Amino acid sequence: MNEMSWPPQVPPGPPPMPVPPPMPVAFSGSRGEFFDLAKRGAALELVTLGFYRFWLLTDIRRHLWSNTLVDGDAAEYTGRGKELLIGFLVALAILVPIYLGYFLIGIEAEHYQAFASIPLVAFFYLFGQFAIFRARRYRMTRTVWRGVRFWMTGSGWIYALQASLWGLLMILTLGLILPWRAAALERYKMRHSHYGDLQGSFEGRGWEFFKRGWWLWLLTPIAIYISPIAPFVYAGYKAIEWRWWLSGIRFGGVRLESSLPKSALIGLYWKVIGWMALLGLVFAVYMGLCAVLVASMSGEGLTEFFKTPELMRSIPLLVLAGLGYLVMALAMNVVMRVYLTRDLWVTVLGSVNIIGIEAAANVAARGDLANALGEGFADGLDVGGF
Amino acid sequence: MTMDSDAPEISKTPPANAATYFDGASSRRRAVTLHFADRLEISDHEQTLAAWDYADIRRADSPSGMLRLGCPTASALARLEVRDGALAAELVSRCARLDENTPGRRGVAVIVGWSLAAAVSIVAVVLFGLPLIADRLAVLVPEAFERRLGDVADSQIKTMFDAKACDDPAGQRAFVKLVTAIRESAGLDTSVQSGVLSSPIPNAFALPGGRVYLFNGLLAKADNADEIAGVLAHELGHLKHRDSMRGLIRDGSTSFLIGLLFGDITGSSALIFGSRTLVTSSHSREAETNADGFAIDVMHRLGRPAKPTGELLLRVTGKEGKGLSIISTHPLSEDRLARMSREDRSASGPPLLTSEEWRSLKSICDGKPDPAKKSGPVKI
Repeated sequence: MNEMSWPPQVPPGPPPMPVPPPMPVAFSGSRGEFFDLAKRGAALELVTLGFYRFWLLTDIRRHLWSNTLVDGDAAEYTGRGKELLIGFLVALAILVPIYLGYFLIGIEAEHYQAFASIPLVAFFYLFGQFAIFRARRYRMTRTVWRGVRFWMTGSGWIYALQASLWGLLMILTLGLILPWRAAALERYKMRHSHYGDLQGSFEGRGWEFFKRGWWLWLLTPIAIYISPIAPFVYAGYKAIEWRWWLSGIRFGGVRLESSLPKSALIGLYWKVIGWMALLGLVFAVYMGLCAVLVASMSGEGLTEFFKTPELMRSIPLLVLAGLGYLVMALAMNVVMRVYLTRDLWVTVLGSVNIIGIEAAANVAARGDLANALGEGFADGLDVGGF
Repeated sequence: MTMDSDAPEISKTPPANAATYFDGASSRRRAVTLHFADRLEISDHEQTLAAWDYADIRRADSPSGMLRLGCPTASALARLEVRDGALAAELVSRCARLDENTPGRRGVAVIVGWSLAAAVSIVAVVLFGLPLIADRLAVLVPEAFERRLGDVADSQIKTMFDAKACDDPAGQRAFVKLVTAIRESAGLDTSVQSGVLSSPIPNAFALPGGRVYLFNGLLAKADNADEIAGVLAHELGHLKHRDSMRGLIRDGSTSFLIGLLFGDITGSSALIFGSRTLVTSSHSREAETNADGFAIDVMHRLGRPAKPTGELLLRVTGKEGKGLSIISTHPLSEDRLARMSREDRSASGPPLLTSEEWRSLKSICDGKPDPAKKSGPVKI
């Protein structure tokens, strides 16, 4: 792992300029510290069979938030793992009867026509969008800067309805409408976001997003057939989306601006692919060694052993394979968290400029905490979104 | 609005006890001085902004090189930021309960302990609780509901395998005669529906709500009526034990609980699939063994041998070999044949079908192109 931390540490010495600080946004966390966090988290996830995920997610956010300095002051994440666990349990208590109802309605529908219950999946899409909105609200209200928290109003269900209607249009237009969908949904989310008594808004236009990224839409069908260009297309899309999204954010008189180049994230995605390939190779070698070991223990000749279907049915080999698979999956988790969470965060943050930050110098605190139900739904339904 | 002249990351010989304070009511940054009295006094020039009890002061997350403190009893979000190392050390030494809210080693141990307890509980429920619950619940499910389920599965299976019911009149008569004999011997009422479907797959199955289907592919592989009779008796055994309803309740809840246990570790779907296969196939093997026992009893009551069915199974699946059988849903065909041979009795009753009727049954699906060329796995 190369030690890369941004921005470069300023050597101690006479301060170059008293005001203003040269960088409105900076990140002070060390990569090694995050790596340790991810490693330890993965090990604990293994030991707790996945239950540790709520605390790991919280630790990652605490690290990222508290090392993000805006106008010289670090943010703070005040959410806790226990809240996520409770949100998950409550979401589960709601989802279980819904799954049961879905099952019963599905049977009635299938009674009339085979496979008629498939459209009911649309209901879960609606639910997933609700979860995305409420999860954002939870994260917002746990974000504190200068002793004042962000907060959010608005209705998760109205948002989910809008998102679903736009989703329908997405299908009809083969995804071409994505930029306008993103703009409309983000306008709703930002209009209902606040920092103290500063109201948020979103000025990004669908047309700008489209102008910058239309060629990706054309490349996507090609990328499906020629997979090596897929990471380029996806990384380009993500970079354009981040830049467009950040550049549209407003809080009162505070305006964000991002200069993220289209190629900024390509390296990150290829590094992840490289690590995956390496881990896959290590796993293959490990499996080979295990097979040889088990074969030599079984007493039969090596070639004999590999010829028979015994190979696939030997219990020690299956156990060794299961263990190796688990370790590989967790190593991949660490790789993804380091590159696609931490490094991506730092890269994107490095492109941000803030104009009119003075407007946030004396903001009155407002707003209440939201519960973590949305995060629970998002976990239970396996949806992601920011 | 006043901006302080010194940016916080630049520490140029600050006055002693200097810190930055946010009062939690506004985002205003204030340069303050700290006084260590019997409480921690935070003051801006002459004015005291806040006084915190040392015992109530807690650490808050901060970037490296800075100590950030809060006092939940005074104001939830008020923050005091100290960059001077000596001052920070002084504060840490005075605030005895600074790290009380930070989950340390003990906190992690508690999480691990409870997670393991939850995992053990889920595993115990899956292995012992669910089969018990499914046994009790399956008998409580109303017949009408079970028949609905059967209707759904029925139309899905017919669509999936593109199978049509065969209705050659002579074959149909022979089939009804065979099924009726077995049904009466098995002690099931007339609500049982059965039929032969035209599909090359050598298979037979029972659906919830009293339906038994035989694929034509299995008829094509059978040499005599006893072989098919044993298979039908086996499927009626599933009906009698309400195995499909039990399986539905048990496997549905097993999938759900195991999915819950592993959560969202990347690649967990393979784990979920693996462990679910292990658990559900062990239940399934048990149900199959019981249905085999039922079939043997029925055949004996009819005065017919059970061994031919075992021979048919082995003919369809081929030798399955020893080794790992814990992931298969059915017992090995060799073992099933061995059991049926062991408990076999020689024929004491009349044949179930005349050779004329047997020939009609074999050709029940004729009039359609002969599908009995391909073969697939047997699930009886």
